Amino acid sequence: MNFWEYLHSRRELLLFETWQHASMVLQCVLAALILGVALGVAVYRSPRWSALAAGSAGVLFTIPSLALLGLLITPLGLGVAPSVVALTLYALLPIVRNTIVGLAGVDRTLVDAARGIGMSRAATLARVEFPLAWPVILTGVRVAAQLALGIGAIAAYVSGPGLGEQIFSGLGRLGGANSVNMTLAGTLGIVLLALLFDGCFLLVGRLTTPRGIRD
Amino acid sequence: MTDAETGSSGIEMINVTKRFPGLSAPAVDDVTLTFPGGEIVVLLGPSGSGKTTTMRLINRLEEPTSGKIVVAGRDALSLDPTELRRHIGYVIQDAGLFPHMTVAANIGLVPKMLKWDKQRISDRVDELLDLVDLPPATFRDRYPRALSGGQRQRVGVARALAADPPVLLMDEPFGALDPLTREHLQDSLLALQERLRKTIVFVTHDIDEALKIGDRIAVLDKGSRIAQYGTPQEILLNPADDYVEQFLGGTSAMRLLTFGRVADVPLEQVVSARPGDDAAELRATLREDGRCGVVLEDGDRPRRWITADELTGVTGPVGERGSPTAPPIRAHDTLQRALEALIQVDRDRVPVVSASGAYRGTVTLATVQAAVRGMRDEADA
Amino acid sequence: MTAPVAERQREGLHAPTARSWRTLLQPAIILAAGLAWMVYIETSSLDSIESRVLAPGYVATKTWEHVQLTLVSTLLVLAIAVPLGVALSRRWARRAAPVVLAFANIGQSAPAIGVVVLLAVLWGVGFWTAIVALVAYGVLPALRNTMVGLRQVDPSLTDAARGIGMPPVTVLRRVELPLAAPVILAGIRTTLVLMVGTASIASFINGGGLGDLVTTGVTTQRTPVLLTGCVLIALLALLIDWLGGVAARLLAPKGL
Repeated sequence: MNFWEYLHSRRELLLFETWQHASMVLQCVLAALILGVALGVAVYRSPRWSALAAGSAGVLFTIPSLALLGLLITPLGLGVAPSVVALTLYALLPIVRNTIVGLAGVDRTLVDAARGIGMSRAATLARVEFPLAWPVILTGVRVAAQLALGIGAIAAYVSGPGLGEQIFSGLGRLGGANSVNMTLAGTLGIVLLALLFDGCFLLVGRLTTPRGIRD
Repeated sequence: MTDAETGSSGIEMINVTKRFPGLSAPAVDDVTLTFPGGEIVVLLGPSGSGKTTTMRLINRLEEPTSGKIVVAGRDALSLDPTELRRHIGYVIQDAGLFPHMTVAANIGLVPKMLKWDKQRISDRVDELLDLVDLPPATFRDRYPRALSGGQRQRVGVARALAADPPVLLMDEPFGALDPLTREHLQDSLLALQERLRKTIVFVTHDIDEALKIGDRIAVLDKGSRIAQYGTPQEILLNPADDYVEQFLGGTSAMRLLTFGRVADVPLEQVVSARPGDDAAELRATLREDGRCGVVLEDGDRPRRWITADELTGVTGPVGERGSPTAPPIRAHDTLQRALEALIQVDRDRVPVVSASGAYRGTVTLATVQAAVRGMRDEADA
Repeated sequence: MTAPVAERQREGLHAPTARSWRTLLQPAIILAAGLAWMVYIETSSLDSIESRVLAPGYVATKTWEHVQLTLVSTLLVLAIAVPLGVALSRRWARRAAPVVLAFANIGQSAPAIGVVVLLAVLWGVGFWTAIVALVAYGVLPALRNTMVGLRQVDPSLTDAARGIGMPPVTVLRRVELPLAAPVILAGIRTTLVLMVGTASIASFINGGGLGDLVTTGVTTQRTPVLLTGCVLIALLALLIDWLGGVAARLLAPKGL
């Protein structure tokens, strides 16, 4: 069976796994976006807390995904739970970091002007700082999504959902029929998803970046 | 000063001190200063003198460590800072416009926070754009990055005026502009102030700007020590100490000339004649006078200088004889302008005309010298 | 394509580089934590499988394998990526560079596990297949990094160098490489961290390393084994990240 025949014969399963993969990544990234922005907003005014948050994020990021997944299956068991937690954690890091960097990068004179004309702290954050930091935060989200797509493949090892199953099935049938096809399908599927996600983020960026600061 | 003296829109700072944590010397050290209502008070000083901090204490962008601040009759320190700031206009260098909002949205921010209805905000935005000479149809929907530096600063002023605050704080608003634009905006601000009569606190380190803009100037030294507080003339004529003198530099006489008007000094009168006058008669008068005369044409406009020698042997009317005068200066021009004109002509005098162009007299170097001496004497008295 | 921005962001995600005396505190803590964990595990009651797999000698062998996988693959990645990156940033390669960058960006989105398994499926399993897979996975980001590093060198400086009569090779050696060094060195650290992480999945294709403890732990359902593998991988990654940070700082030209 050549690759095209394989794709054709398993199209329903492949589509389902692609959908699972995308949906898992999307949900984890969304959760990470909410958590990460909340965390970033909470710490960005204090250099010390910002450094601590970015530092912890960096340490966590250095820990290889297999190790993190392994550590998570002890309390959470196999399946969706450790995959989702690991993906969300990894996605959290670039988002927290970029939220801090983005908010700290907003021109101080603009914040000063906002407060000077009588905007409260909350209004300044919502109307001035956040919109101006948004392109940077969105870049963090893009990075997070790319990371999560790749790590999502390893999640199949702890029985997580998605295209990783194809890769591990290929590994399991090493030397057997279709092992190349399965691995290739899983890998290319994820590459395609990555391109698709990137395109979507470009579009979202275009639509959500205020016109005055779009380049 | 009492409230009655400062006017209801004035500002008072009483024994105000600001210390920043970790710094031994206070940034603002026990400052007491009154900003009379409806006037422009300039805080003038070198960088590090605490002038910006002093200004930022007024709208509580900096919280004073101790002291009392009264803005438009209300104790500023007992108000909610956000609420306080909505009634104090604030203009900063580079305007601080929000790049993600249109010009209209920037100007309408404060009215929106004050919960005005949409129509009223929109009308107000147009009115303000007109006020700062930016046609609303062209500018209201632009984003700040599509504006020049000068236009941005005009929008900045419009935004500060949006809710018609009695008080305006301006922190080196024209500092980043090229000299030509700066000059233009200074003139616009003065014209605006003519109509609006706001209480304006204006921070700058540019002496010429301070002299031009300020009704009063507070010259600040380190720790916001008030080295001198007075009108521009007072400061130029009577620098309170070495610091002020040094800060003004050695050109205070030249600067003084910008405060004297040609109309205010005694003009030198010379013999005036008309083209139809008899030449021989005029020659006799000029010979006796010893100076040149001036030939006036219709509307009493000065046209030519005429000397006795030029009329030697002429009979009949004076006619077109004589040498053309330089373009006349006007009575409401400054003495500085008069001096400039004197330096550029080859005569020792320049004719002065009224607003309608009619001859009023002439100005010589001696006139200018006498005027400066007069100002000095007056200040010493 | 705006992906390079995202890539730069990704590469900037390191644990913070410690300074002064803390520089040595960090590895000391990591080593102490590893030692403490091993003492704790060895003194707890283990069944026969656990005690066999968790014997100090076996764990040390696996750790050494992991270090070998990481270092060998990193060296190979650098040996390929840096010269290639330099070549692609030369004038005559100007047309090829964007194509290579675009390809690198797409290639980077392939999951590590996919690349590793694919190579095993095609070539068979073992240490060297794992090395090839790791290198294949690591070369693209390192290549991108070198090119980006060289590209951000201020063109007025290379102009000045040419202007005072330096031949192209000297310009590269005396101006471009030293100025690009911080970025390239940061890339070495990134590659090290990437390799230490990816090396842990080499065990899926019999490449050895600490991943073996994880897979054994999962297949035999022995939690102590699984946890030991995970803890040691995590600590090794942090240690190598620290080493990369120190190396980047020591090797960086003075004044930058």
